[in-house]
Amino acid sequence: MNKWFKMHTFQLGLAGIVLGVLILFTVLAFSQPSTVAAAPQHQSGTPSNESCLFCHQEQGMTAEIGGQPLPITIDGELYDASVHGTENLACVDCHSNITSFPHPEVTASSPRDFSLEMYPTCQQCHSEQYQKTLDSVHQRAIAAGNNNAAVCTDCHNPHTQTRLTNKDTGELLLGARLLIPQTCAKCHSTIYETYKTSVHGAALTEEGNQYVPTCTDCHGVHDIQDPGENSFRNSTPSLCANCHTNETLMSQYGISTNVLDTYVADFHGTTVKLFEETYPDQPTNKPVCTDCHGVHDIMRPDDPQAGIAVKQNLLVKCQQCHPDATTASFTDSWMSHYEPSPQAFPLVYFVNLFYKIFIPAVLGGMIFYVLTDVYRRFIARPKKVEGETH
Amino acid sequence: MSEQTTRMYERFPLARRIEHMAMLLSFTTLGLTGLPQKFPSAPLSIAFVNILGGIETLRSIHHFAAIVMMLGTAWHLLVFGYMAYVRRTRLSMLPSLQDMKDGIQALLYNLGFAKTFPQMGRYTFEEKMEYWAFVWGAIVMGATGFMMWNPITTARFLPGEVIPAAKAAHGGEAVLAVLAIIIWHMYGVHIKRFNKSMFTGKMSEQDMLHEHPLELADIKAGVAERPVDPVEQRKRERIYLPIAAVLALFMLGGVYGFVNAEETALTTTERQVPTVEVFVPFTPTPAPTQTPTLAPTETPLPTSTPTVAPTSSTPEADITAETPAASASITWDGAIGTLLQEKCATCHGAGSMGGLNLSTYEDAMRGGSSGPAIVPGDGANSLLVIRQQAGDHPGQLTPEEITQVIEWINAGALE
Repeated sequence: MNKWFKMHTFQLGLAGIVLGVLILFTVLAFSQPSTVAAAPQHQSGTPSNESCLFCHQEQGMTAEIGGQPLPITIDGELYDASVHGTENLACVDCHSNITSFPHPEVTASSPRDFSLEMYPTCQQCHSEQYQKTLDSVHQRAIAAGNNNAAVCTDCHNPHTQTRLTNKDTGELLLGARLLIPQTCAKCHSTIYETYKTSVHGAALTEEGNQYVPTCTDCHGVHDIQDPGENSFRNSTPSLCANCHTNETLMSQYGISTNVLDTYVADFHGTTVKLFEETYPDQPTNKPVCTDCHGVHDIMRPDDPQAGIAVKQNLLVKCQQCHPDATTASFTDSWMSHYEPSPQAFPLVYFVNLFYKIFIPAVLGGMIFYVLTDVYRRFIARPKKVEGETH
Repeated sequence: MSEQTTRMYERFPLARRIEHMAMLLSFTTLGLTGLPQKFPSAPLSIAFVNILGGIETLRSIHHFAAIVMMLGTAWHLLVFGYMAYVRRTRLSMLPSLQDMKDGIQALLYNLGFAKTFPQMGRYTFEEKMEYWAFVWGAIVMGATGFMMWNPITTARFLPGEVIPAAKAAHGGEAVLAVLAIIIWHMYGVHIKRFNKSMFTGKMSEQDMLHEHPLELADIKAGVAERPVDPVEQRKRERIYLPIAAVLALFMLGGVYGFVNAEETALTTTERQVPTVEVFVPFTPTPAPTQTPTLAPTETPLPTSTPTVAPTSSTPEADITAETPAASASITWDGAIGTLLQEKCATCHGAGSMGGLNLSTYEDAMRGGSSGPAIVPGDGANSLLVIRQQAGDHPGQLTPEEITQVIEWINAGALE
């Protein structure tokens, strides 16, 4: 053994170095929180924030850009309280073309155009997030000429934005979750109004429940995708299942966690499941969670008025795809996420039970007979009678 | 080998062999396309679905094979009727007490408790068992298949619960059928001894002696087939063939009905995509430092709590609630002032966006930086109406509201 070690000292040393480097890289890679690059070091000689605020704290200041007013008053206290203020960022870190007064002429044609010119500045520090936004529905809308689509500064006012994530882990702060719907609502106000009435939205906006989904839990952050895409629709069951199969989360509300399994076990779910596996980008006409439960207006199923536990309400959902279905009994062809039991859907339960017994009984009998035949025919062959040909 | 042992006996005429082939192909296809639907999560299922071009294609193939099997079954029934009524063939496939005795004896023989293997006739108990298992399977699969194919029709006559129950039975029966074929049929006619008679139609005397000794004896004795009087046979044919034709039409109609009883469960209508107007911004909030010069009581000040933009063209939003009654007297104080304050004042209130302030009658009539917004008596040329009729103003009035404003202006824009 010792001899072997001596003979292979060099190889062992090399392996040790390689392993060490690997561990070092792994540790580095995982210890890097997905946050922000270090704040830039300020060069002396650049204007201080105080010198900017000397003018810009004046109330009601606006700049005319293309004939439209752009408010340019900055609240120094709010800024100092913002994440940029606490990280000691200087105004000129972003407004880097401004070094003195008078300022260089603004080339933008409108206040909106000015925002669009400015926001790429964010990538200086927020490169990861910025890169993600490049693959977002908002960026695609801008590329298609819709200047209303959100850019960084529409959601994060750089002059007032407070910290949203844990500095060390990069995880979203719980309080921040409550603010997200209002942020999205700046542009998606009617959706927000609908969301507020939903079981999730009401819990978040009225009770401050931080565990119900906020906008970004379903739509993502920064690389927000078009929810109209087929792939988004086809992945809906997995998306909802993220929370709805989580025992810890669901037990707080007494909600069953078998909703995905019971969906996939049904005809519709089977189809969508196979579909997602094979053709995630193709449209399917089979329903996903949101087709029955709603999108932003998700209700409790047991809501006495609008809940889909009421057969007539569910029938309306069925009729979206099965317009000929007019009898309420049709709704029972879907087991409403129940697992068949002697109480719920007993017929299905007993059919399953029957085959659970019938199949092994029949096949067992067959196998037994076949085995005896194999035994007699191939193992314990009867001695051939003289003259008989086999 | 003696000449006698190589003598071949006809066992299955061509029609019967074709029937078997149709059943073989449709059964295999149904099994291959059905099991991935029963076990959709299995990697093998996913791979197979992928090969066939997706679940919808797979289902179409499954349905096509089902139609072939239904037609094969219909044909089988017609042939059975012909043989039983016209030819008066012995009903050798009917199960009897003797089959049970044969089965027990065979088992005892295999276990060494009986000296001889049972001697059997045209169909052995093994063959009869398989035939009747197939009949049972065809009935279960046909009935449950219909329910799944036509759930809406089924739910008209039966409780909806039978449809998931049918699915359960269809799947359970499928597993049973496929495994039974693999165990019983494969062993019985392929492994034990490769019985080619279903393909060649013939069986050697030696095999007949082993498998169907009683039938062989009947053949040799000339009593296997009952003699048929040609005149009598023609007479019966004249009766049976029209009946068979009617039956055939009836069964074809049945298959057609099976396939076409309803449409919406199969070729589902285009999915109703809920259309939501995505970009409905809050009316721009004035910069937080801008102190309003005057605060009209009715106009809520913009706060950090968002208020929804008044445009609401989504199906979810309730737009009926705030539509003013058309019968209200059309004056600023009666209806228009409230309407414009409600819908426009967030921007054109204290903030006077574009110089236009719509919070009081006087301010409204003064107009904005682009000139008068309201030209009394001329609704069509009032800037407010022109902007609103373009349809994309941030604080968009509904068509009914615009009509009301036009009427008000045309009537002189009274206070």
